[in-house]
Amino acid sequence: MTVMQLILLAGVVCLFALTVAATLLGWATRRECAVLLALWIAAALGIAFPEETTRIARAVGVGRGTDLLLYCSVLAMMGGFLMVYARLRALRREMTLLVRHLAIRGAIVTTDRQETPGDPPPPRD
Amino acid sequence: MTAAQTTSSGDLSPEARRAAFIVIPAYNEGACLERVVRDVRRLYPNVVVVDDGSTDDTLEAARRSAAFCLRHAINRGQGAALQTGIEYALLRGAGCVVTFDADGQHDPADIAALLAPICAGECDVTLGSRALGRAVDMPASRRVLIWLSVRFTRWVSRVRVTDTHNGLRAFSRRAAQGIHITLDRMAHASELLDLIRRSGWRYREVAVRIRYTPYSLAKGQSPRGAVRILIHYLLGRIMR
Repeated sequence: MTVMQLILLAGVVCLFALTVAATLLGWATRRECAVLLALWIAAALGIAFPEETTRIARAVGVGRGTDLLLYCSVLAMMGGFLMVYARLRALRREMTLLVRHLAIRGAIVTTDRQETPGDPPPPRD
Repeated sequence: MTAAQTTSSGDLSPEARRAAFIVIPAYNEGACLERVVRDVRRLYPNVVVVDDGSTDDTLEAARRSAAFCLRHAINRGQGAALQTGIEYALLRGAGCVVTFDADGQHDPADIAALLAPICAGECDVTLGSRALGRAVDMPASRRVLIWLSVRFTRWVSRVRVTDTHNGLRAFSRRAAQGIHITLDRMAHASELLDLIRRSGWRYREVAVRIRYTPYSLAKGQSPRGAVRILIHYLLGRIMR
């Protein structure tokens, strides 16, 4: 095994450990954890046995192992972008619901004050 | 599903006018909001203005003129503001909900024609159509943009309409209760048409007059904005 392989494998082990820790801390769901761990294991196998990636590449008609890894990386990156986008959308949605809740509650409080005789006038911003 | 089209202008009773809540989403519309709201309130007392986090004096204008004034703490988009206004109108006991633009393009006199078929129980939703009515001073570029968006909407949403992204619409209480806009920005108009198709609501297009002014054109959609709406809408459909 070359030095480069050892460095890359060490990096993958760190990512593996970080993923497990993030899941235990509740930052990632079990499903996300499973997908990421599978990805890290595949990466580790690809680094440890590079000739195997070439064999698989030839079997699927890509040619070179590096090309196969590149295509897989692009796909994984696109999937990652989509996951982040979906999470961003969910966050925006929650933000909108919060803003709406505050707006409606504020209007109800203001209108109720106006409709109650004897109460002081509603505060103005 | 087919859309019966009408140009009739209904004569509404005072009770029907009181039961109708006019929802006006507004973002930085301080320049003309007060005039628009006062014009609407001459005919319909219950006007709900949703200030969508404006940075000008829209909120003050709304407080001076509207019956009900809500404020989004931060800007969330027209779709979000409409949903807020509709939910509030329902809480206040609205019999019908009408959506109306804040930029002075719409004519309050058209609201009666939108409400009449709903009050008569003939349909659940009425959609304003400038193609059936009139579009005063509409630039050619806007005409092309609307033509393209109508064709796209007919193809994607499968709702037979002659106009799209027209902010003048009316909903019965039952239909308004079923509205859950998730596309916060301008793509909500297409989402509403999808909802109409999915829900099986009876809908009708009604002729309305849209008056384009330099102000409303400056606030309106550019071709780039239209592309952005398209992307938001398609992503919204994919990642529902």
